[in-house]
Amino acid sequence: MSMKRITKELQDIGRDPPSQCSAGPVGDDLFHWQASIIGPPDSPYAGGVFFLAIHFPTDYPFKPPKIQFETKIYHPNINSNGNICLDILKEQWSPALTISKVLLSICSLLTDANPDDPLVPEIAHIYKTDRAKYEATAKEWTKKFAI
Amino acid sequence: MSEFAITIKMTGDAKHQLNVTPSMTVLQLKEKIATDLDVSVDRQRLIFSGRVMKDNDTLETYKIKEGHSIHLVKGPVKSATTSTPAAATANTAASSPSAAATVPTNIEAGQGSFNPLAGLTDARYAGYNIPMPTMEQLGFGTDGMQLPAENQLEQMMDNPAFQEGMRSMLSNPQMLDYMIQQSPQLRAMGPAARELLQSDYIRNMLTNPQAMRSMMELQRAMGGASGLGGASASAFPTPGNPNAASSASTTPASGASSTTPAVDASTGANPAANPFASLFGAGAGAGAGAGAGLGGFGANPFLNPSFNPNLMNMFGAANAAPTTAAATADTRPPEEVFQTQLRQLNDMGFFDFDRNVTALRRSGGSVEGAIEMLFNGSV
Repeated sequence: MSMKRITKELQDIGRDPPSQCSAGPVGDDLFHWQASIIGPPDSPYAGGVFFLAIHFPTDYPFKPPKIQFETKIYHPNINSNGNICLDILKEQWSPALTISKVLLSICSLLTDANPDDPLVPEIAHIYKTDRAKYEATAKEWTKKFAI
Repeated sequence: MSEFAITIKMTGDAKHQLNVTPSMTVLQLKEKIATDLDVSVDRQRLIFSGRVMKDNDTLETYKIKEGHSIHLVKGPVKSATTSTPAAATANTAASSPSAAATVPTNIEAGQGSFNPLAGLTDARYAGYNIPMPTMEQLGFGTDGMQLPAENQLEQMMDNPAFQEGMRSMLSNPQMLDYMIQQSPQLRAMGPAARELLQSDYIRNMLTNPQAMRSMMELQRAMGGASGLGGASASAFPTPGNPNAASSASTTPASGASSTTPAVDASTGANPAANPFASLFGAGAGAGAGAGAGLGGFGANPFLNPSFNPNLMNMFGAANAAPTTAAATADTRPPEEVFQTQLRQLNDMGFFDFDRNVTALRRSGGSVEGAIEMLFNGSV
């Protein structure tokens, strides 16, 4: 069941991937993917390419995939281990969602962070109080780690 | 090897169809893109299946098939120096604790340009370039400061330099504005406050030793009467009517005559010993004392020092002025003044720096007293 679903998603994402995202299996193991997100042009991450690791649970799509950033990124909702604080990866997961949609959600999270539900409170604080400083730091990190 | 079409996707939804062969290397593909899309090879990053494609691999190794899409990310131009956002990180808060401490903490926005105490260190007081105690320190300021005895106070008042200092302070319109701004009562009075402060009566009160002496006598006579504190402000006397002032000020006399200063005020009041010292003291008094004193206690700021920390420290400052050691001690940050006490408190498990300092200020530097206050929650 999960195998069939993952294969279908792979076909779809190969043919018509979202413009900012790309994903596919690392090797022959269909349950272990890698993905890349191109920094949205209207964000401080523009120009960067961010890599992510995706692990599908055996009961996918009834359980959400585990997605982690492998590229360091300065963001209020993404910590230094690459864990992402996103509701659809947790309690708001729905079997109707696909990797493509999840990656798009992460893209929009990069454009519009959610400082009210932060994973890194320090970054969230700067995001709220000194937006220019946040953007400068995020750009700096993007330049350093993602270009 | 059959040719097939793939799609190159670029940022901003732009697409480009391209015919490729499976045996083609990524570098060859990039060269093709370079001619088609005018993006130089070294600026291209091709991403497929979540991976950056390496130049020497063939398209076959990536299992690229008919109809697949490859992402193209344009990198920065290699030779040209791209603008770095590094400069933006410089806007960190530059306010060091020491810089902040030199500004009166109760100064209001927009008044920062005028520091009434700043002028006191100018050329007129040359040779006395000690920074003034901050308002905060004046507010608490039990750091070794005590009230002068009454006779010393009188001596100080008799000093013509002190009187001159007071007079010049009160004739400075900027100073008056500052005093009015600092006091809610005076602010509420509007333009009348300025007239009042400039009136001969007030000036006389603050500069005439005779008036002071009579007030002190009155204070002695009134000693023990329950203090009305700020209430006397509502009974603000009419300028030129000393009786009104006298009747309004039913304030206790505690403190003024009971304590003796650590540093003898008479030295400060003696022009021969140091002609600038008393001026300095007077300035501090008018700056800190008169501002709050006039506001809080009507026309009689000198009468109720125990209820007026600012005023209390006006004399404290005057006392401290003659000896440089004492004066510099006042301007040190609390962590320095209370270094040993703070360490003791830390050792005992009190880690809240602000509370510790407040408690130590109130206890006059006594660790035991501070602990008591920390325990009973009064700080």
